[in-house]
Amino acid sequence: MFNFRVLAVIKRELMEKLFSKAFITMTLLVPGLIFVLLGIQALLYSSEKKNLRIDIISESSELTAAFQDDLLNSDYVKSGKYVFSFQTMNKDELKKYLNGKKQELLDEKLGGIIYIPTSAMKNKKLEYYAKSSQNISLFKDLDGPINKTLIDLYFHNKTLSKEELDFARLGVDFTGFKVSENEGIKEEGYGNLVLAYLFTFLLYMSMLMIGQMTMQSVIEEKGNRIVEVILSSVSPTELMTGKILGASLTGLIQMAIWLSPVVLVMSTTIFVLPKEFLFSIDATVIIYMLINFFIGLLTFIGLFAMLGAIFDNPQDASSGTMPVMMLMIIPFFIALSMMEDPNKPIAEVASLFPFASIIVMPARMTLVGVPFWHLILAFIINVLTFVAIFPIAGKIYRVGILRTGKKPKWSEVVKWLKYKY
Amino acid sequence: MYSLEIKNLTKTFGKITAVDHASFEVPDGSIFGIIGRNGAGKTTTLRMMMGIYLPDEGDVILKGVKIGQEFKSRVGYLPEERGLYKKMKVIDTLYYFAEIKGKSKKEVHKKAEEYLKRFELYDRRLSKIEDLSKGNQQKVQFIATILHNPDFIILDEPFSGLDPVNTNLLKDIILEMKQQGKVIIFSTHLMDFAEKLCDHIAMIDHGKIILKGSLKEIKAKYSQRNVSLTYEGDISFLNGNPIIEKIENFGNTTGIRLKEANHTQQLLKLLVDNNIIVKKFDANDISLQEIFIELAGSEEENLKKEVANV
Repeated sequence: MFNFRVLAVIKRELMEKLFSKAFITMTLLVPGLIFVLLGIQALLYSSEKKNLRIDIISESSELTAAFQDDLLNSDYVKSGKYVFSFQTMNKDELKKYLNGKKQELLDEKLGGIIYIPTSAMKNKKLEYYAKSSQNISLFKDLDGPINKTLIDLYFHNKTLSKEELDFARLGVDFTGFKVSENEGIKEEGYGNLVLAYLFTFLLYMSMLMIGQMTMQSVIEEKGNRIVEVILSSVSPTELMTGKILGASLTGLIQMAIWLSPVVLVMSTTIFVLPKEFLFSIDATVIIYMLINFFIGLLTFIGLFAMLGAIFDNPQDASSGTMPVMMLMIIPFFIALSMMEDPNKPIAEVASLFPFASIIVMPARMTLVGVPFWHLILAFIINVLTFVAIFPIAGKIYRVGILRTGKKPKWSEVVKWLKYKY
Repeated sequence: MYSLEIKNLTKTFGKITAVDHASFEVPDGSIFGIIGRNGAGKTTTLRMMMGIYLPDEGDVILKGVKIGQEFKSRVGYLPEERGLYKKMKVIDTLYYFAEIKGKSKKEVHKKAEEYLKRFELYDRRLSKIEDLSKGNQQKVQFIATILHNPDFIILDEPFSGLDPVNTNLLKDIILEMKQQGKVIIFSTHLMDFAEKLCDHIAMIDHGKIILKGSLKEIKAKYSQRNVSLTYEGDISFLNGNPIIEKIENFGNTTGIRLKEANHTQQLLKLLVDNNIIVKKFDANDISLQEIFIELAGSEEENLKKEVANV
């Protein structure tokens, strides 16, 4: 099956795709896009407003004094993120005060007003007035300090030791430790999560893109009637094999380019990632990822080539690709949903399920330690899927490639399998 | 000596039998025509010979051996529906088509330039196919068909869609290839071309071979009692004449079948006596078209038959 004809087809496919504008743009654009997105996020983070003015108004002078003491010593004030001013007012006075400050609030000269009624000593309910009333980052920032002050005040007259108080006001602090079979337990940041997202996106995008390109090229061959000329030299199986291998190699090159930054960060110490983005994966993940990706490409490109052979023109094909697209889209969303809880049973099943495995497994193994035999099993399942798909796709390809005329029904396509070609 | 023997080739698509036990023999060094109407089974036959379709039954035998994949490398095939990769350069296209026939760039480099010069395409060798005119694309297609120096040249409806310049060019190529001792097989529904070019023919109708052999012998056999006539005037008076079996109008010429061969002089006299201006009177001559219609029936007759069957 592998001979000079197949080689010639592979060579042509590689050349055609590698030097196509679409390939070059996508290959360069995607990493660029990732960096731009990360950059935007970093920019947003660093450009957060400084010196946000917040008025803290308490109903009693006792509260005001306590907050003044605590909050002015908080890190947020020291770092200059918030500027607090403290006043004491009752409900009616607050209303007047709010009316007076309305314009400042709307102009965002005043970031917000926090009102602490005396009832807060019983139910810890506060009021927040601002242009947008849901300021998650502010709530997160001030939740701890305000709670601490309230707890201090509440327990002030009760006889409790300092240690007891310290424990009471301590929040829960999660530290993530990744447990895996081989290595010891170690602490890690968000890095692996980011990586899992990245792997999922790249796999999905590359397979979709190369698959679509292959389908277009089959449609072109069929539509332009080149195929019969080619088939007078090359058997349909050789042509399909050559096309799939050529396209898969293109995909592999693309993925290698995309993953090179990750490998670079892994293997050198030149690039220092912020602590939150540190990731820890070993080379096996990258190697598995590439092997897995290659098998995935062979399988999906085979299916896309088959679709290309069924249809005469891109319009018909785009509606016909849905079933194959679903085989990629569903695993893609499973992989995304897995990020919250990589130990979900569906993640485990999907990572070993034909087709789904290709997209889900790399993300899963980045997030949690996957038993080695799972990897082997997934590999075998993927290879078997390909082995099962190839003759069917090949048969439909052989029949379809020489057909023209009206768009065939799926039931007709199934009948093609029985044809002798 | 036969170079190719086609034995019992059969191909069905669902309920339709496209080719039905077709057998014919292609002699060495000949130009062989497969003749029939559109949909008669010509393309399917050629595709089976090229191994593009697997026959349901039957074999193609080359010098006593059943052909395989390697046969394809010895053939230059020009399908009826032809095309090229639009984004590829002319020269790369030629190299690619040679490469899948097992010839390296080096081997065909010189020949490719020769052909490009001869066909006045040398200046365009680095242009993309899509930038060429349709006529020039056809020329590139011819070169790609013969560049690897095949022993067999198989052409499916080679003259359909060609401009007059390229029609002549292709005719020249065919005759040149014949002189080099190559076998040329082509299919056509244009009887004129077949008559002018072919040494041997096979006629196919509804998937069956209805006639085969050397064109000369076939014509000799069918031309007896036949007169090919070109004239001016009204010959309707001949209808019902006892010496005449039938009259067929082919537009430019009229074919007259006599009841007996020695009635030709009588016919000529009749025409002259009736003031018909005889421009051409060719006794014992018959066109391929006439033979075909005699065997397969005219288009209208077939249509009537089909309607009756329904």
